[in-house]
Amino acid sequence: CCGLGMWRMSSLLSFSILFLACLAGFSSRLFAVIRFESIIHEFDPWFNYRSTHHLTTNGFYEFLNWFDERAWYPLGRIVGGTVYPGLMVTAGLIHYMLNLLHITVHIRDVCVFLAPVFSGLTAISTFLLTRELWNQGAGLLAACFIAIVPGYISRSVAGSFDNEGIAIFALQFTYYLWVKSVKTGSVFWAIGCCLSYFYMVSAWGGYVFIINLIPLHVFVLMLMQRYSRRVYIAYSTFYIVGLVLSMQIPFVGFQPIRTSEHMAAAGVFALLQAYAFLQYLKDRLTRQEFQTLFLLGVSLAAGVVFLTVIYLTYTGLYAKIHIPIIASVSEHQPTTWVSFFFDLHILVCTFPAGLWFCIKNVNDERVFVALYAISAVYFAGVMVRLMLTLTPVVCMLSAVAFSSVFEHYMGDDTKREKPPQEKAEEGLGPNVKSIVTMLMLMLLMMFAVHCTWVTSNAYSSPSVVLASYNHDGTRNILDDFREAYYWLRQNTDEHARVMSWWDYGYQIAGMANRTTLVDNNTWNNSHIALVGKAMSSNESAAYEIMRSLDVDYVLIIFGGVIGYSGDDINKFLWMVRIAEGEHPKDIRESDYFTPQGEFRVDKAGSPTLLNCLMYKMSYYRFGEMQLDFRTPPGFDRTRNAEIGNKDIKFKHLEEAFTSEHWLVRIYKVKSLDNREPLDHKLRSVVPRQKYTSKKVTGLLYVCT
Amino acid sequence: IYQCLSCNKHRSNNSRQRLLRLKYFLYFYYFQIFCLQTKKVTQMMEWTSKRSVIRMNGDKFRRFVKAPPRNYSVVIMFTALQPQRQCGVCKQADEEFQVLANSWRYSSAFTNKVFFATVDFDEGSDVFQMLSMNSAPTFLHFPAKGKPRKTDTYELQVRGFAAEQLARWVADRTDVQIRIIRPPNYAGPLLLGFLLAVIGGLAYLRRHNLEFLFNKNVWAFSALCFVLIMTSGQMWNHIRGPPYAHKNPSTGQVSYIHGSSQAQFVAETHIVLLFNAAVTMGMVLLCEAATSDLDIGKRKIMCVAGIGLVMLFFSWLLSVFRAKYHGYPYR
Repeated sequence: CCGLGMWRMSSLLSFSILFLACLAGFSSRLFAVIRFESIIHEFDPWFNYRSTHHLTTNGFYEFLNWFDERAWYPLGRIVGGTVYPGLMVTAGLIHYMLNLLHITVHIRDVCVFLAPVFSGLTAISTFLLTRELWNQGAGLLAACFIAIVPGYISRSVAGSFDNEGIAIFALQFTYYLWVKSVKTGSVFWAIGCCLSYFYMVSAWGGYVFIINLIPLHVFVLMLMQRYSRRVYIAYSTFYIVGLVLSMQIPFVGFQPIRTSEHMAAAGVFALLQAYAFLQYLKDRLTRQEFQTLFLLGVSLAAGVVFLTVIYLTYTGLYAKIHIPIIASVSEHQPTTWVSFFFDLHILVCTFPAGLWFCIKNVNDERVFVALYAISAVYFAGVMVRLMLTLTPVVCMLSAVAFSSVFEHYMGDDTKREKPPQEKAEEGLGPNVKSIVTMLMLMLLMMFAVHCTWVTSNAYSSPSVVLASYNHDGTRNILDDFREAYYWLRQNTDEHARVMSWWDYGYQIAGMANRTTLVDNNTWNNSHIALVGKAMSSNESAAYEIMRSLDVDYVLIIFGGVIGYSGDDINKFLWMVRIAEGEHPKDIRESDYFTPQGEFRVDKAGSPTLLNCLMYKMSYYRFGEMQLDFRTPPGFDRTRNAEIGNKDIKFKHLEEAFTSEHWLVRIYKVKSLDNREPLDHKLRSVVPRQKYTSKKVTGLLYVCT
Repeated sequence: IYQCLSCNKHRSNNSRQRLLRLKYFLYFYYFQIFCLQTKKVTQMMEWTSKRSVIRMNGDKFRRFVKAPPRNYSVVIMFTALQPQRQCGVCKQADEEFQVLANSWRYSSAFTNKVFFATVDFDEGSDVFQMLSMNSAPTFLHFPAKGKPRKTDTYELQVRGFAAEQLARWVADRTDVQIRIIRPPNYAGPLLLGFLLAVIGGLAYLRRHNLEFLFNKNVWAFSALCFVLIMTSGQMWNHIRGPPYAHKNPSTGQVSYIHGSSQAQFVAETHIVLLFNAAVTMGMVLLCEAATSDLDIGKRKIMCVAGIGLVMLFFSWLLSVFRAKYHGYPYR
């Protein structure tokens, strides 16, 4: 009776802790909504939102067959076959269910709040996984950690409607089901794992991590001679069903049987069958030594194949890093220790301790978590955006470390019930214990404070709406982006084509509903290079390119008035580099530098820069503007320089719109004049000199 | 000469014979030039076949580069490779230049349009004087036709001396596309093979006692090492190659911590690695203190040491982070 009561008590406690963790996770992601409004953030989410909107208005099949003629003009984009549809389908489904229950919400609100809701689910699945690995207490700690850790919040604040938001839940849940199926060896759990894997494949390209980690786990288990029937059943089921299911996603298609990333899984599958077969033979044969030798050979060969595959993928990744368009994205950079600490705080120093405990008390599933930690930490070191896959395992292992400490230092109440002779043997003393507990709790409190600060300051900006603070703490909202996009929506022709750098493609399509030339789905490098070339050429050369691309409007971002550093002039060198990659004869990066190798916008800047289209569009009439009395007119606050070319005149373009803080400037491309005006001088009426030589005069007359 | 000819034609009504003689003389002259050119090209080709970068002294430079009849471009690196010159950059630049020249020499598109040569200061200081050059290394391109222009001097400060950049410059100046093929670095795989052989040998020697393969401490320790290396940003160091520490040239003060949160020094990552390891060790000690069966005094010491390590090193780590991340409000 008493035991049952304890059990009930503890499950109630677990439930409420989990519930509170979900709540904390949900509410700490709402900074952006409370400060600004319920709005979709950044760039990629705008595309996801637009596709979800298309899905809810036109239905699923229409969405799968969607050919978007408003992007990549004049090429267009096949959307249905080039996206991971999991996110849109999830949001669409929730919207459908809610409307079925007559809870009428707009699809935008579903999209905005999807990621925080899924963070709650992630906390629950992390709890389940950690409970399988260690114990209930560690599970609860892990759930609390993952709910508030900045490394995960960075991708799942309200409004960041992106694949990663739901993919981390799918990742953790797949791993939970996998561990469960290895533990039980039942087909039921393995099929559950496959379904969860299917959801993951439909949601994010990071599913490749799962399809490599699970085979690695099986392979290491075999090497450690921990092979068992449970592993055989789990992996065979998972591989076959998971393979078939993953190939149902149009974007993935036949990749799982073609590309090198998936070959490790196939190799391990074959190896597992061979191993199982040998195990079967072993029961019937006696030549054991021969067998072990054979086994060793087979596993060595498989290991070599495995390493080669990993090496090939690594070199492939490495080559990709050096392509300018990939290098230009800041997410593809390696990670400094500061970002590790910033995103994980105390967890980054304590999770190795958890790893130590897991390896010291190893079993099948702890092998899995150790491999997970080691591979994820490697990938996070190579690329900063993969910090996201590291974060869950760090939370789990730190929870293991903290919970083992708390287990020994907090639990003196239960110890008292034990016989007294044991108590004499025990006893670090209650003082030491309580001091340790207090200090540990203090560390965790610091962690919570740090997480809240990081979330509120670094990860909760929608970057569609900017905010600046005055000295007295009042806030200015800079809503230039939406102002400009709304202007485009209201004042331009419905089929107008807007040229901008690719960063703004999704936003123009989503908010202004106009045709774009390039967007954030950077599948066609040469098209982007053409836009880059237009931006970095002089006006007449750019006009020819723009005519050939049917451009009606050009949109640029200019931060010189308010000191916004993410504007187009600061991105300009990437435009030049990408253009140079495709048109090395016309665009040279060195032309845009001063002879000393500096990139300057003032008088000392290179003349090519001062006359290129991007410069002219950014600084048109800026020379007339004096921002304050300490600086000269035409002083650029972002680059802290007085601009070098104040007398800018356009021949083929005209200014159409400039937003309140000059953040967005839109230019209209004029159509051709009726007649090309000739650049001739006025005819001079002064009589010419008479030439004396008769022979030559005849010739000269012909010339004139 | 052609002008001369036309002048002759115009000015006077000289006899046809004289004209013819002149014509023959001209043919002969052209032939001679042609012969000289061919001779020079053959000579250059012969040298190139021996080594892809031709070493030149003052004499050779004047004959093969400066002297007029020439239908090939020459890319010359002016350098100072003698050890007493102590030019570290020259050595690196030389390696890259060799890579470039070899890529050209062994490519399928190899022609006698472009040659690569080098002039060392200690072998041809007169050349340096002639071109009034006072810095090494310098890359110059001598085009087949016309005088070298401004763009024929490679902007070393701006573009660096990577072979790929040099190849782009050469392609720009001479229309010869060179695909850089670096000789693969065999050191890494060889070292790995050696390591594997040593491990295999050890395993073979101790084949009756393979206990050490199942030693959890070894595995746990190596996993921890890997994790600590990664979380302290060594991969960033590997890819970006930052300096070990920064010495302020005016004050002579050495700073080990980079001021910005976007970058780091190697020394700094080592410090962070140490701090992280200490915190981890503190956590492990705390647990060991509670579970081990040593006598109570030792366990108390372990416990205090553990919590001390955790708190001390974590607060140091936090203060380093604060120094780098400006505007971080917590201590």
